[in-house]
Amino acid sequence: MRQYIVERLLYTFFILFFISILIFVLARLMPGDPIHAASMINMDLANKEIIKDLQQEFGLDKPLYLQYLYWLKDFIKGNWGVSFGSGEQVRSMFMRCLPVTLELFFAAMIWSIIIGFPSGIISALKRDSWVDVFFSSTSVIGVSIPVFWESIVLIYIFGVYFQILPPSGFVPFSESILDNFLCMLMPGFVMGTHGAGLLSRYIRSCLLDVLSQDYIRTARAKGLRERTVLVKHAAKPVLIPVTTIMGLAWSYVIVGSFFVEYIFALPGLGRMAANAIFARDFPVIQATLFITAINIVCMNFIIDIIYGFIDPRVKIHDPA
Amino acid sequence: MTRHKQNNTGKFLTNDLQWKRISIVRALFKHKLSCIGLIIIMILLFMAIFSPFLAPHDPNEQNLYHVLEPPSWDHLLGTDDVGRDLLSRIIYGSRVSLSVGILSTLFSGGIGILLGLIAGYRGGIIDMIIMRITDTFMCIPGFVLLLVMAAAIGPGLLNIIIVVSVLGWTGFARITRGQVLQIRELPYIEAAAACGASGFRIMFRHLLPNSAAPLIVTASLSIGSAIMLESGAAFFGLSIQPPTPSWGKALRIGYSYLEIVPLFSIAPGLMITLAVLAFNFLGDGLRDILDPQFRGEIQRNK
Amino acid sequence: MLLNVKHLSTHFISSKGVLKAVDDISFSINKGEILALVGESGSGKSVTALSLLRLIPNPPGKITGGEIVFENRDLLKLNPEDMRQVRGNRIAMIFQEPMTSLHPILSIEEQVMEPLIHHKGIQRTKALNACYQLLEKVHISDPPIRGKSYPHMLSGGMKQRSMIAMALSCNPSLIIADEPTTALDVTIQAQLLELLKDLTNEMGTSMLLITHDLGIVARYAHIVHVMYAGKIVEKASIETLYSYPRHPYTMALMASIPRIDQDCRKKLTPVQGNPPDLFNIPKGCAFHPRCPKKQEKCMEETPKLIPLANNHETACWIYE
Repeated sequence: MRQYIVERLLYTFFILFFISILIFVLARLMPGDPIHAASMINMDLANKEIIKDLQQEFGLDKPLYLQYLYWLKDFIKGNWGVSFGSGEQVRSMFMRCLPVTLELFFAAMIWSIIIGFPSGIISALKRDSWVDVFFSSTSVIGVSIPVFWESIVLIYIFGVYFQILPPSGFVPFSESILDNFLCMLMPGFVMGTHGAGLLSRYIRSCLLDVLSQDYIRTARAKGLRERTVLVKHAAKPVLIPVTTIMGLAWSYVIVGSFFVEYIFALPGLGRMAANAIFARDFPVIQATLFITAINIVCMNFIIDIIYGFIDPRVKIHDPA
Repeated sequence: MTRHKQNNTGKFLTNDLQWKRISIVRALFKHKLSCIGLIIIMILLFMAIFSPFLAPHDPNEQNLYHVLEPPSWDHLLGTDDVGRDLLSRIIYGSRVSLSVGILSTLFSGGIGILLGLIAGYRGGIIDMIIMRITDTFMCIPGFVLLLVMAAAIGPGLLNIIIVVSVLGWTGFARITRGQVLQIRELPYIEAAAACGASGFRIMFRHLLPNSAAPLIVTASLSIGSAIMLESGAAFFGLSIQPPTPSWGKALRIGYSYLEIVPLFSIAPGLMITLAVLAFNFLGDGLRDILDPQFRGEIQRNK
Repeated sequence: MLLNVKHLSTHFISSKGVLKAVDDISFSINKGEILALVGESGSGKSVTALSLLRLIPNPPGKITGGEIVFENRDLLKLNPEDMRQVRGNRIAMIFQEPMTSLHPILSIEEQVMEPLIHHKGIQRTKALNACYQLLEKVHISDPPIRGKSYPHMLSGGMKQRSMIAMALSCNPSLIIADEPTTALDVTIQAQLLELLKDLTNEMGTSMLLITHDLGIVARYAHIVHVMYAGKIVEKASIETLYSYPRHPYTMALMASIPRIDQDCRKKLTPVQGNPPDLFNIPKGCAFHPRCPKKQEKCMEETPKLIPLANNHETACWIYE
């Protein structure tokens, strides 16, 4: 087991290394650098000397690989640079926006699980009945609706027409629990629906697959109650692939946050990143992309570890 | 991640495949959901190809005296913020979405399948390198990459196709490789190699056709997600530039006028949803039909 | 009579038509008897076994008629709860593929204990001890250690022994063994069948042994029934069947077995013709297209089992 963990850890670092390179290159691919961009706006900077000085100051004149290494070194140390746009430390921007996004993620995952699990399980158990058709169709719809459209529709229904929920804006937890809950209700739900659809379809398919296995037939031949068969024999083998799909659901949540935070005006990381991309704010872009990637990679790592705990077949190295 | 059933009948190709093609299409229509999907897709294709004949007005014709009007007999869906007929813009919008969806899937499929074939068949270091690259790309969520790349190379139809293609290849590569790994151990591949077939011949004549099933499913789902990605990018203004009509862009503008003309937001979004839905239904139907295990079940329900 | 099956029919419904997997069969098993059900793939033997325990998946299958009188009760008339009490408790089943029939994520001891805990209501600690005793009985060494392992860590033979232990746990009156050794090495086959024979002798258990291997039948069974296309075509004791097979199908089967005293240059004689298409069973006697002795009547009327001497019956018009 230990060997497995170490293996996974090494792999994770390896991937992170590649990702960091990829992100760095991508960010730099964007045309122009901020100095030039700034010089377009502010004529005082148009002087070549000044541009060169500024470039030197920000290290933009050094060869790319050196820039990369400096950036990486700084990043690990905790210095994520300074935003070209606002001059604020990227790290503090990040910390400011993080709680909002975290709350959103949390809400989204809860919605996904609450809607996804029962719908998938019931669909599988009552296969081909109208319940199954209903849940299956809604799952596909859930996966097909663009997050941004769903947000807009819900805002219109609940925010504009019925006016029972705030159409946008964020109230921190510290100010008012109720308001916070209300303004997170729609965003969380919207982000959760995509994941719910995914989970539902996947659970249905896995459960049907497991239920057709020989060992379930053996369990029934032993005269066990159907409930025991489902909970003791079918649940675990289903959980294994489902855990893996949670990782995918998680990345959908991340993607969704861009739109949702923008539309609902939530001051989270997604919105911070989107703004940075539009402004070509390199340090912020790099930091956010990297953090996002680290987030996903870590989630995959955690899932691999959980996998190792649930599935004894993975622990092959243990002495019997 | 579903456990893949072993397909160990070394199906020899062409004749078998042709016979299968006909019955697959027939089965697709019998399958309820995929039938709906196919119908919607055909309607959309029709819409895209025959837009000039279907649209009641020129989609780019502005009329600043009739801005943001509600639906009327003349403008069935009303007008947008510069007086253009919304219905016509939506009909023409299908061109962008479908072309991006289909073309980018073709490209990403092409790249992905090729890489997957090479990785699976060659194995060894090449496999490892290709897989690590794939993993790396998969760890960055598609849309984030899309935003960055779109910002990097700028908006425009071709650019967005390129960007979406780059996002989609990983899925194809993974699945192709998985299939190849299963099939390459089968005796008939060995036999082909023993007959002196070159690597390429084996890959394209033997490995690829027999891996086709899950790839077709992926392709269909991939078109759906490409349409979704494109409209997402359009929402942020990173796709087609005005005045070309695009559903995502229309949705974005509609959002600004949500309180005044809600239809402006509902209509384009609905189209995007329907398009994605149709391809998802189709993909699901294909998956059910092409998996031999399910085929019996579908026949059972007839 | 422990088990008396009368006119049992099990059909499967598909788009291609109705498949009569088991078509009006009757047989009985006495206490302590080992009945072998022999036939080629598709003859209906496994479906018969599953029908006895009412484990036929519905849809697409259905038991369409007959009685299964076991310990003076018609199993087909029992409600689901009572039927569950029978399964694993009074009638136990051993399946063909131990690799897939054992639950991959539950330990061996857990799986063997289950029927005991469930049917006999024994406490866990006591059940664990009983489980170890059972594992000893099936010649699995070091039960406390082996018991904690998972199926994938065991060899095929050991997996099947565990299944046997599981089947015997509640001391059933009848064991149904569906091709118990087909998936195993020949060397293991003998060991396992000896074990099964010894244990059933010791505990006075009857056994329904399903197989296509006439060699196994000869050594381990008391009575043999030969099945073809869903019907029983010959019933006899071991001595009678091997010495005086009467039905042309049985005779062809016997002739196809290579003999050690045969001239090795002589060609093997398989049963001529092809196995029947179960969706289009020939009119009259199902075997007639392949029968060297067919008559007019064989193509018109389906033969019933005709008693010959000595508890020997055969379904063939020749003996009318």
